[in-house]
Amino acid sequence: MLSKSLFYLIVFPGILFQVLCGWVFEWLDRKLLARFQRRVGPRWFQPLADWIKLFGKENILPKGSNAFVLTLLPIISLCSVLTAGIYIPVARFSLFSFEGDLIVILFLLSVPTLAYYLAGIASIGVYSVLGGGRSILQFFSYEVPLLLALSGPAILAESWSIQKIMRSQVSMGPYILFQPLGFILAVVGLIGKLKRDPLDIPKAKSEVVAGSLTEFTGIRLAFWHLVMDIQAVLGIFLIINLFLSWSNTIQPWLSAMIFIFECLLMILILSGTSAVFARLRIDQLAGLGWKILVPLAILQLIVVILMGI
Amino acid sequence: MKEKITIPIGPQHPLLKEPLSLLIDISGEKVLGGNIRLGYVHRGIEKLAQTRNYVQNVHLIERVCGICSHVHTTTFCYAVEKLLGIETPERAQYIRALMCELERIHSHLLWLGILAKHIGLDTIFMHTWHDREMVLDIMEELSGGRVSHAVNKIGGVRIDLDADHGPMVARTLSTLREKIDALWEIIMHEPTIKARTLGVAPLSIEDIIKFGVVGPVARASGVDIDFRRDDPLPPYDRLDFSVVTHSEGDAWARTIVRVEEIQQSMKLCDQILQNIPAGPIDVRTSRKVPAGEVVVRAEAPRGELFYYLRSDGTEYPARLKIRTPSLTALSILPKQLAAIQVADIPVVVAGVDLCIACADR
Repeated sequence: MLSKSLFYLIVFPGILFQVLCGWVFEWLDRKLLARFQRRVGPRWFQPLADWIKLFGKENILPKGSNAFVLTLLPIISLCSVLTAGIYIPVARFSLFSFEGDLIVILFLLSVPTLAYYLAGIASIGVYSVLGGGRSILQFFSYEVPLLLALSGPAILAESWSIQKIMRSQVSMGPYILFQPLGFILAVVGLIGKLKRDPLDIPKAKSEVVAGSLTEFTGIRLAFWHLVMDIQAVLGIFLIINLFLSWSNTIQPWLSAMIFIFECLLMILILSGTSAVFARLRIDQLAGLGWKILVPLAILQLIVVILMGI
Repeated sequence: MKEKITIPIGPQHPLLKEPLSLLIDISGEKVLGGNIRLGYVHRGIEKLAQTRNYVQNVHLIERVCGICSHVHTTTFCYAVEKLLGIETPERAQYIRALMCELERIHSHLLWLGILAKHIGLDTIFMHTWHDREMVLDIMEELSGGRVSHAVNKIGGVRIDLDADHGPMVARTLSTLREKIDALWEIIMHEPTIKARTLGVAPLSIEDIIKFGVVGPVARASGVDIDFRRDDPLPPYDRLDFSVVTHSEGDAWARTIVRVEEIQQSMKLCDQILQNIPAGPIDVRTSRKVPAGEVVVRAEAPRGELFYYLRSDGTEYPARLKIRTPSLTALSILPKQLAAIQVADIPVVVAGVDLCIACADR
């Protein structure tokens, strides 16, 4: 029993699986983006190599900053995303499921954003403070439409358990058919959450250098990168589970293949959007979030509720 | 975050490709004002020029700028030739103009890529710089150098066009023309580019005239100056092209002006290749230059390039004064860095197309 839980925690769907997925997804994303931009792109082991390289780098902290806080923040973020990962079903394998796990996951996934903000404030540098402030502004802009969009499937399935939402899609068909708008809003929200281009405002290179992470080096930076990678993986898994879940009755290998295909599709969407759009300004993002995305999300919710009646 | 903080941009910052220090006062996301510190790439070229003879100086002047190196030597050579009282062979004039126009294309493409990079559109950056390689390849094929071409010498040029060179350049430029047209479509139709550049830091005609700003920045505000037309160096008075102006004066207009200028430059290249006369490419000159002083102006990719040269009758110039267009662009930068947002700083700084090496000399 103990060995089984250890396997769940460390191998699948725990640390090893998530970290590996994180690197694979990062590589795919970088490779695709490179091909869009007429570049060759990195080799398959590049994310791992980058990570190992960061371990060899010097650990520098700004004078006057609190080393304990700056070390704790990436660790807390990593713990919370890894914990969230255990509850997110992969393909159709759902190990730990309970009523309300969707809310727990959404809470755990917003911890890194807050930690990112604190990291910016705690590392004192002007660019970090600016980036931290921007990240919290961005958080308020994308989080509401994202939550509204993700609550659509839950309302339709009348459950806050991801497994039940997936099961109800077996009879009704994937929810993307009923909530295409919700799917698009969820993807936009995910882009904001992951701080990817075109919503990479908190870490815009030409404006605030690297935002909150400007003063981070070495192992601490390596852990931040890992957090971002795993967050991307979990966000993609979550959206696939909520919107693109196919039948549970087919062969396990077939459902795994479909799941992998959907992951690739999501990565393609994410790298495609980062390739074709310019970065928005923070006021433009706030306008987009509150004037366009939130009303659309509410509209989608009303449609879903009417469908439920 | 209401109190005033000063963010240092530079001397080393991802925004800048050359060392420059901008100290920008901000409050939250609002920019209150900015200050510039210059001189990080000052090499004392004007003084150095007095210690070298005219032949050596051509190579020194080439090092003023890393992007528009050819137009500097062209202006210098015309200045010396004016003092010597010799007429540059016509074929040499055309070859000089061809290189100038190729340089303008590559400079504007480079600038467009940098603007795209600064607004977070790396795809355009990669594509324009890839297209720019075509121009660099032409220049390498013609002169052997991609950036420092060493084409000019006093009395003419060092390289001649072969029979194959003309068709090769025309062919490459027609490929480039398709790419530029595609780029034009993207710029005109991509809403996020407009969202980031439209209405950002507009400059009025009065500001432009007051600060003496030249080049594409001035033309984007509706100031109709172009020294290829107003005070032309030799082959330009025989070539047909139009001066691109816009009236808005914001970052968007500057983008449009530069892309249209690329198209005009390609038109000029075609004309030069068609009309280039046969004949010698250089004349012999004496090493000593008669006493006198002269001013020559040329249109560099960034605007008016001004050379003042005084000779005292020896092999060495008595005084050489270079005023580059970036200097005027720098003078108006603090004015533009007010009442904008932090996110607009890259657009403003990129928009005036600074060449710090030119400005510092």
